[in-house]
Amino acid sequence: MANQKSKPTKDHSRFHGRRTFLKATAASVVLPYLIPASAMGKDGNTAPSNRIVMAGIGIGNMGRGDLGSFLGRGDVQYVAVCDVRKGARNGAMNRVNEKYSNKDCKVYNDFREIMVRDDIDAVHCATPDHWHAIIVIEACRNGKDIYCQKPETKTLREGKLMIGAARRYSRVVSGGSQRVLGDYRKTVDPCWNGDKGIIKSINVNVGPLPMDCNKKGEPIPEGFDWDRWLGPAPWAPYHPHRCSGSYSINGESWRSFRDYSGGGMTDWGAHHFGGATFAIDVRELEPEEVIFHNENGRKFATCRYPNGRLIHHNYPDRGNLEVEGTNEKGPSKPVPRYAGSGGIYGDFIDCVKTRRRPFRDIEYAVHTTTVCHLFLIAYELERSLKWDTVKQQFVNDDEANRLVDVARREPWVI
Amino acid sequence: MINKETTKMTLAAGAATIAIAQTDSAALDKTLETLKTYDWGADRQALKPIDQAIIATHDDAAARRALEKSLVDTLAGGISRSAQDYVCRKLRIVGTARSVEALAALLAAEETSHITRYALERIPNKKAAKAMRDALPKVSRKLKPGIIGSLGSRRDKKSIKVFSKLLGDSDIQVAKAAAQSLGLIGTSAAAKELSKFAKKASANMKLPVADASLVCAERLLADGEKSEAVALYKEFKGDDKPAHVKAAAMKGILTAATKK
Repeated sequence: MANQKSKPTKDHSRFHGRRTFLKATAASVVLPYLIPASAMGKDGNTAPSNRIVMAGIGIGNMGRGDLGSFLGRGDVQYVAVCDVRKGARNGAMNRVNEKYSNKDCKVYNDFREIMVRDDIDAVHCATPDHWHAIIVIEACRNGKDIYCQKPETKTLREGKLMIGAARRYSRVVSGGSQRVLGDYRKTVDPCWNGDKGIIKSINVNVGPLPMDCNKKGEPIPEGFDWDRWLGPAPWAPYHPHRCSGSYSINGESWRSFRDYSGGGMTDWGAHHFGGATFAIDVRELEPEEVIFHNENGRKFATCRYPNGRLIHHNYPDRGNLEVEGTNEKGPSKPVPRYAGSGGIYGDFIDCVKTRRRPFRDIEYAVHTTTVCHLFLIAYELERSLKWDTVKQQFVNDDEANRLVDVARREPWVI
Repeated sequence: MINKETTKMTLAAGAATIAIAQTDSAALDKTLETLKTYDWGADRQALKPIDQAIIATHDDAAARRALEKSLVDTLAGGISRSAQDYVCRKLRIVGTARSVEALAALLAAEETSHITRYALERIPNKKAAKAMRDALPKVSRKLKPGIIGSLGSRRDKKSIKVFSKLLGDSDIQVAKAAAQSLGLIGTSAAAKELSKFAKKASANMKLPVADASLVCAERLLADGEKSEAVALYKEFKGDDKPAHVKAAAMKGILTAATKK
């Protein structure tokens, strides 16, 4: 953001590049009187030089919604969009250009070309999950803040690397669950207000588990870079169900399949477990144990935190986000809220300006997805596991440790 | 082949249990046969007995060895890409040194290199790392970044010298992967190689090397090598560095100063 910069360095000032870019943009508008007063910073609007310059990566489905939310803000200026689907990126480009009444929005198939643009302050990422870690880390590495859709991680190892990159470069990295604060107030508020007494546990009902996909190949649609859509995931033939962004987890969307998602466990799980960790106030912690239960063929599991609190998954006969506490009145504490205005998007932008950590700071987001991954691994191996939160390894379980990460398809490395 | 071995899967004794195990064993043999003709479009559920056998053999070394051998033999016997994909995913969990040779044989082929690493990267035995080190000079440039990344994620110290040479590779993907992996390895030797290269890095390698060096410095600091970490940080705090790199280096120096 221009009004918070330090003195530009000779070779690498993204602000210098951004000003040059904006100058060129202004010059490209043939008739100056066509520029609306709001775009010049009048009428209480933010002048272009003070706006957060943004780009969107993955702008179909959720990305379309994210783009709309950021684009509607007067303190944001979109200059680029990226998608491996030609139709999606061109559609997004037109939308941005219509918004600003110009033709300045650039389109990209390769997100790395956005990362090296020094005029861009922040990006939003709404690709399928298997791309998140690579894009978040690359953004941080290039000095950009990033808003990343949920679930933020695909594996346990990715989480610590993403937090590491964010902290190394002091970047604002927000996770993307708007529901954690927005949808679970009836659960969160009684816990924080002390009405539940000493919290013992919370239950989350969510599913299904991810599945493998062995669908037979079909012709790749024109304008779709299939190889780049797969990215770090194992090669597989194109099939529309593999890459459909449908929100259903029914074997006909990428959210269903192990290579691109953790299934319902991470997809809706990122919301529900995010709400659960917020309600019982364990956002800063990771579980140190996941206990697998098999009662007469009915499988469910429990994560135990160092402070003794429990998060159950699919505990028999318990409702979603059902809290178990001692129920005597306890001390109350203020419930954290978003900064700025405009929900989770406004929170991110406000934090980009103030350099504070957002409500869904990447660390909290990763701690949520860690719960999801611990459950997934316990279900895959059908046994209880102990998790060393410092070493980021399972204790005395070589087999489980193999599932902490996956090898990425070349050339992708994290 | 696997019938008698897999019968041992069942931990409990008794005729009834053995009968169940034999049934499972028969299903397993049938599934291994299915794998030979398995291809894209086939019902994934048909392979379920193998998934179940992996869980059931966790505490039975003999049965697990037999299962691994069956998978390895199937892989080596020539199967479709879809079946190779499945077997490698399973060897990621049950593979040992005994799987390495069959996996290594597929490392250099473009179609199978990644899915082979899917298993090899996660098999903790040192032979798995050696197979990837040995393959690195032989594979195409396209495949090199993946192998480098897999060795980097294992923090394979024996790869440092090779990675050092690859820092100057004309293929930017290879060079970047080498830098990143040296950072992840994070030892004094890796730091020296990064530091040496940083002084002569081309424009498009400056940022990858800076980033790798900062990651390496964090590793050194975590391992108690404070002075080496600080020395590395200091190389990136100059005004000629991008603002966020300079800030990260300064932050690292401050962190080191407060670390006992």
